[in-house]
Amino acid sequence: MRTKRVKLLILAGVLLAGMVQAQDAMVILEKVDRNMSSDNRVMESSMTVHGKRSSRTITSRSWGEGTKKAFTEYLSPASEKGTKMLKLEGQLWIYSPSTDRVIQISGHMLRQPVMGSDLSYEDMMDDRKLSDVYTAKVSGEENVGDRRAWVMELTAKVTDIAYYRQKLWVDQERFIPLKQDLYARGGQLLKRTEMGDVRQVQGRWFPFTVLYKDMLKQGGGTEFKVTTIRFNDKIPDYIFTKAALKQ
Amino acid sequence: MRLAIKLAWRNLIGAGLRTWLNVIVLSFSFVIIIWMKGIMTGWDHQAKTDMTNWEIGGGQIWHAEYDPYDPMTLNDAHGPVPEALAQGVESGALMPVLIVQGTIYPEGRMVPVAVRGVDPGQTILQLPAHRLDTVTDAIPALIGTQMAHTTRLKAGDRMILRWRDIHGTFDAREMEIVEIFSCTVPTADAGQIYIPLETLREMTLLNGETTLFTFRNEDTAVTVPEGWTLKTKKELTRQVDELIQTKSAGQSVLFGVLLLLAMLAIFDTQVLSIFRRQKEIGTYIALGYTRGEVVGLFTVEGSMHAVMAAMLATAYGLPFLLWQAKEGWTMPLDTSQFGMAIAQTLYPVYTVGLVISTILIVLMTTAIVSYWPSRRIARMNPTEALRGRLQ
Amino acid sequence: MPILVVTLGVMLTVFLHAYVVGFMGDTIEMNARFNNGHVKLMTRAYAANMDQSPNDLALLGVDSLMAHLNREYPGIAWSPRIRFGGLVDAPDENGETKAQGTALGMGIDLLTPGTPEPLRLNLEKSLVRGHMPQQNGEVLLSETFSQKLKVSPGDQVTLIGSTMEGGMAMVNFIVAGTLSFGVEIMDRGTILADLTDVQSALQMPDGASEINGYFHSGFYDDEQATSLAATFNDALKENPDEFAPLLMPLRQQGGMGTYVTMIDTWSGYISLVFILAMSLVLWNAGLLGGLRRYGEVGVRLAMGEEKTHVYGTMIVESVFIGLVGSVIGTALGLAFSWILQEYGINISGMMKGASVMFPDKIRARITPQDFYLGFIPGLFSTVLGTLLSGVGIFKRQTARLFKELEA
Repeated sequence: MRTKRVKLLILAGVLLAGMVQAQDAMVILEKVDRNMSSDNRVMESSMTVHGKRSSRTITSRSWGEGTKKAFTEYLSPASEKGTKMLKLEGQLWIYSPSTDRVIQISGHMLRQPVMGSDLSYEDMMDDRKLSDVYTAKVSGEENVGDRRAWVMELTAKVTDIAYYRQKLWVDQERFIPLKQDLYARGGQLLKRTEMGDVRQVQGRWFPFTVLYKDMLKQGGGTEFKVTTIRFNDKIPDYIFTKAALKQ
Repeated sequence: MRLAIKLAWRNLIGAGLRTWLNVIVLSFSFVIIIWMKGIMTGWDHQAKTDMTNWEIGGGQIWHAEYDPYDPMTLNDAHGPVPEALAQGVESGALMPVLIVQGTIYPEGRMVPVAVRGVDPGQTILQLPAHRLDTVTDAIPALIGTQMAHTTRLKAGDRMILRWRDIHGTFDAREMEIVEIFSCTVPTADAGQIYIPLETLREMTLLNGETTLFTFRNEDTAVTVPEGWTLKTKKELTRQVDELIQTKSAGQSVLFGVLLLLAMLAIFDTQVLSIFRRQKEIGTYIALGYTRGEVVGLFTVEGSMHAVMAAMLATAYGLPFLLWQAKEGWTMPLDTSQFGMAIAQTLYPVYTVGLVISTILIVLMTTAIVSYWPSRRIARMNPTEALRGRLQ
Repeated sequence: MPILVVTLGVMLTVFLHAYVVGFMGDTIEMNARFNNGHVKLMTRAYAANMDQSPNDLALLGVDSLMAHLNREYPGIAWSPRIRFGGLVDAPDENGETKAQGTALGMGIDLLTPGTPEPLRLNLEKSLVRGHMPQQNGEVLLSETFSQKLKVSPGDQVTLIGSTMEGGMAMVNFIVAGTLSFGVEIMDRGTILADLTDVQSALQMPDGASEINGYFHSGFYDDEQATSLAATFNDALKENPDEFAPLLMPLRQQGGMGTYVTMIDTWSGYISLVFILAMSLVLWNAGLLGGLRRYGEVGVRLAMGEEKTHVYGTMIVESVFIGLVGSVIGTALGLAFSWILQEYGINISGMMKGASVMFPDKIRARITPQDFYLGFIPGLFSTVLGTLLSGVGIFKRQTARLFKELEA
């Protein structure tokens, strides 16, 4: 009798979960997208790469508008200072002050890591909204640290995407990702991202630290820290031009 | 002439040990020249045969974008089997190979590799592709000994292979090394991993696509479709030719010195016989021989060394050379890590031309060296010679 | 005459041995120059993955290392090098990309006055267009690569690579000249720059991928290299640092070990056969020499000399002939070998498509063995020949020997 009740309970739970999935998974993902991307933002950040021999930190200031336009200027260390990157509609240009040249990064170069990190240019380039490229379902609930999170299974609905499947832990209250596992089509875990230091900025929640790790390779991973971020600032149009790279 | 030969024979046999020393040294020249040239020909032959057997078959047709020296080209270097070649693939005259870039992670180390998709039922190459039919839950893979050495992998080892499909989507799966093959062709081994063709096509969503075709026979007549390039066997083995050329050039000096050595002995012998047999020379002339005939007599006698050497060389050299051709010459070391295709055991190959030319060269040189000191006879005063006076 | 024959024979033996060793060793030297060095210093971590040239694991503190090496090992020329990969981009007149290609590069000492590297890599002779770099910021490209990029000497190119720490490196260079290597993989995309330029481009101050050591003799000496490396590494055995330096002899790099052994074996075989043949020839010469003097021997016996005494003096003389012949022969053989070692035989005419990796010249190489090797046939065989021919003195009648004088 007792076991039967347990079974019923489980059944109810499964059904409930199914309903949550059907109704809410995409809604959750859209809420996440709304938090993570914005019409425009200006951000200062630092990236720490843990190498085999030493760690180094690169700071930069970046401007972004929608998902198609981004401009980054590196501030430190001295060797990277003045290097600028412009992304427009899937194209990427890099300017280095020492050579005074603008070079388009294309083809296989896009698959190279950025500044020695665990991120490739391509990873950086692809910031289409999650809800645009993945279908989602909620597969459960878990705690990430002390935060309660939905565990979501994302499967690609477009073909031109680096990671076919993702597992996303979304804060149930703030709707920001806390942890992200990136999988190969065959199910192999490739990369893991962990978000932390979630703060509220201009009414929206945003993770101020992100840790990237290539799960196949030995190494300490890459740490990304936001120093300041402002949303919905007025960004002059000339920022997103090749001319701005040389200034 | 018959008399000359008879006389020469008697004189040589009479000289005993001295003659035999000369003959032995000369016979060395025969055997060593033939053997070393044979090794070179054998090497050339073996290197090309191995390349044929392990990589290039009877030549290849490459996708126009394919460049073996630039792995980046592999992203685009593939296309559907062209209609003109479909028949050949069907009949087994052509073997399609798809090559894709990948990364393996043995124990967390990142090693870029070229993943080659081959038909497990292929019979053109000696590659033990049938082993790719091994039932395993991972991707079955073959690697060569050199690759195994640099990646520190063993048969039965498993590791992750990561690749991208046609859309650039990452995929990764476990791979199992089902066998490590040993071949002498470095380009078929270093940095290469072989997996079943259809598996690779599925993995990369490149159904029916190919990077290159390998011919079964050199004389297969095909029209090369647009977007593909023909690479004949000759082009693909050019490096072997260059290497053999260098080595042969270096060898010829060796042969030269060896011959020079033998000639030194003949020359010395000739000078002494003429010096000691002036009375005999005088007698010949008194008997009515012309000087030219006497010079001829001595030249024949000297050249006879070469003929005897040839016989001696046949006596001990032939069994040796035949035994070598059968058993091969095994280098007392492990050659698996060479940069060039070279086998542990080289089988010398002797051509008729090689044997005949060697004999002719030795014979002619000996004749010249025998003739040279004999010219003195022509300048001799016969009466003085007859009296045995030193001149 | 007998001395002449011995001299010639010994000369040939010595020359031949030097030639075989040099000819067989050529491939080793080519590899040593371009890749392996006679010995190579790297960090332990770099050595473990040396086929990938991982510059993040490169040597640092090269100046002090060099000072140490030069002090401790004065018999070796040390040359730091950086190997790197990257992209070379050629701009059009507006500074936009005109052409781009992947490159394999090497940073070597091109500018220090008297640097041995350009000669070692035969760069000046391989120059197709332009000139050697004369100042910082000048580079050499392979000719095929320069055509692909559509650049000529004097043009600017940008190297995009990654710094030692993984950052992005972008540097402009002026193409000074172009080179032909004759090896496809190198002709496709090679860039050679001065070490200091590469150090600053890849942010490897005082760093190098490797420091190659070359024996001053110019030839690989396996025994010396192996023991040198063993001593060096032994001294650092207790150091747990994976970036501690490691000295590796050529033998232990890649497939070179088997090659070294093969060459030793081959040269051994060939030399053995030749010494044997030479011994037979000189033995014969000794016999002939003895025969020549039967007449003289007859006279001496007739004058009342003891047979043993005659025999004795003949042997003493043959020892003398052998010795003198061997000394002169060895000297001449060494002289010829030396000429061939310095100048080489040009075989490029015999070859189509000659290339750097297949040397266009065959050179001899003088080794210590050459100083005594010639004495085996020169002295022993000559004396042996005389010993045997002298036996005739005892066998024959004095009268007959005397008659030989007349004959």
